[in-house]
Amino acid sequence: MTGPPRSPALRPGLVPGVLSILAMLLVWTLASQLTDRPQTLPAPWDVAARIGRLAATGELWFNAGMTLFRVVASFALAMAAGMALGLWMGRSRGADQWLNPGLIILLNVPALVVIVLCYIWIGLNETAAILAVALNKIPVVTVMIREGTRALRPDLDDMARAFRMRPWARLRHVVLPQLAPHVAASARAGISLIWKIVLVVEFLGRSNGVGFKIHLLFSSFDVTGVLAWALAFVAVMLAIDLLLLRPWESRANRWRQDAA
Amino acid sequence: MRLELDAKSFGPRQVLGRLALSVARGERLAILGPSGIGKSTLLRILAGLDTDYRGRLEGADHLALVFQEPVLLPWRDAVANITIPTGCSAATARDWLAQVGLAGHETKFPRQLSLGQQRRLALARAFAAGPDILLMDEPFASLDADTAARMLALTDALLTRSGAGLVLVTHDPAEALALKARALHLGGDPARLQKD
Repeated sequence: MTGPPRSPALRPGLVPGVLSILAMLLVWTLASQLTDRPQTLPAPWDVAARIGRLAATGELWFNAGMTLFRVVASFALAMAAGMALGLWMGRSRGADQWLNPGLIILLNVPALVVIVLCYIWIGLNETAAILAVALNKIPVVTVMIREGTRALRPDLDDMARAFRMRPWARLRHVVLPQLAPHVAASARAGISLIWKIVLVVEFLGRSNGVGFKIHLLFSSFDVTGVLAWALAFVAVMLAIDLLLLRPWESRANRWRQDAA
Repeated sequence: MRLELDAKSFGPRQVLGRLALSVARGERLAILGPSGIGKSTLLRILAGLDTDYRGRLEGADHLALVFQEPVLLPWRDAVANITIPTGCSAATARDWLAQVGLAGHETKFPRQLSLGQQRRLALARAFAAGPDILLMDEPFASLDADTAARMLALTDALLTRSGAGLVLVTHDPAEALALKARALHLGGDPARLQKD
């Protein structure tokens, strides 16, 4: 986003990264040729062909879009709630002591239990689905932001107080820049956790989305279809990581890089 | 502003004893004493950063603080480091940067400035807040002799120009002299003010 245009030399790890993906494809190809039942492990080109067909009919875009919508909604909800809770618990010892037991319980309740209870209590609808995913993620974000908040610099805090900075300005210019690495780490860890849970939620109680499609394909043991949907969506998530999260991170960290 | 302190303790240990202190706009005061005596604690009480003491602090003077370290926002450039804490305009910030000799460094981040430049930026920030009284906590301590002398002259000039009062905490009587500040000594256990 900033600085000189990136040349290949500025992207260390690109060549090994591509080679390692090619190696995985090679192993997959070999394994698929060695197995005697092609239904259990189809060849990469069969899966690619299926992805192509799904994309051509528009089925891929609609269902991936629904899944992506649920990922984005529950991600936003989980990050907002987790950051608010983490900041509060990191700042206030009382809040930490009162909320910590609940946090530990939520961290250890299996995702499946939260999902089933949400569907039973709220109903088989979109609200329940998004809330169930967010509830699974909120405690993880809370813990990471709380640790970051505890490590905030006291001297900058004094400076903000001495200059009577308003709470919003303090949060935006003093606190959040210090938390940026923790926010980025929890966003990165969060987005991959969330899309996995979204598939389970769709599997159990939605009538569209990638998880619902995998549910249908599971009943007919269609491994090619399962792999096609999974890989197509992995590609979407990778694109989000590369095109959204990374540029944002490098922008937020700009002040670290250009030391004199 | 006026402080009447009865006692200040950290846990069971009493650091500061009974003392009274007052300073007004245009007045300059230096609090001298060996390190660890409680000078910085006294300044934090004056600045309102420490409210856990017995005594009274009066006065609605507008204060600005210069810390031992520059304490800048590393993720904001020089101009933003003045406008964000003080709420002044960018033009005012650039004007103060020029007054402390940092013209041309407006868009630099703190890490791109030398320690001496960072301290001048902190000084510009304090004056941009338009204080009635400037509070300074050993602001010349870790500077080499030349830089410290230039910082002292600059501080003196800016204080005179703005008419602000000063409370300087330092271990070095020469600094008090250079800033034409009335010297008060902090000594004893618990520490009290002793006039010269």
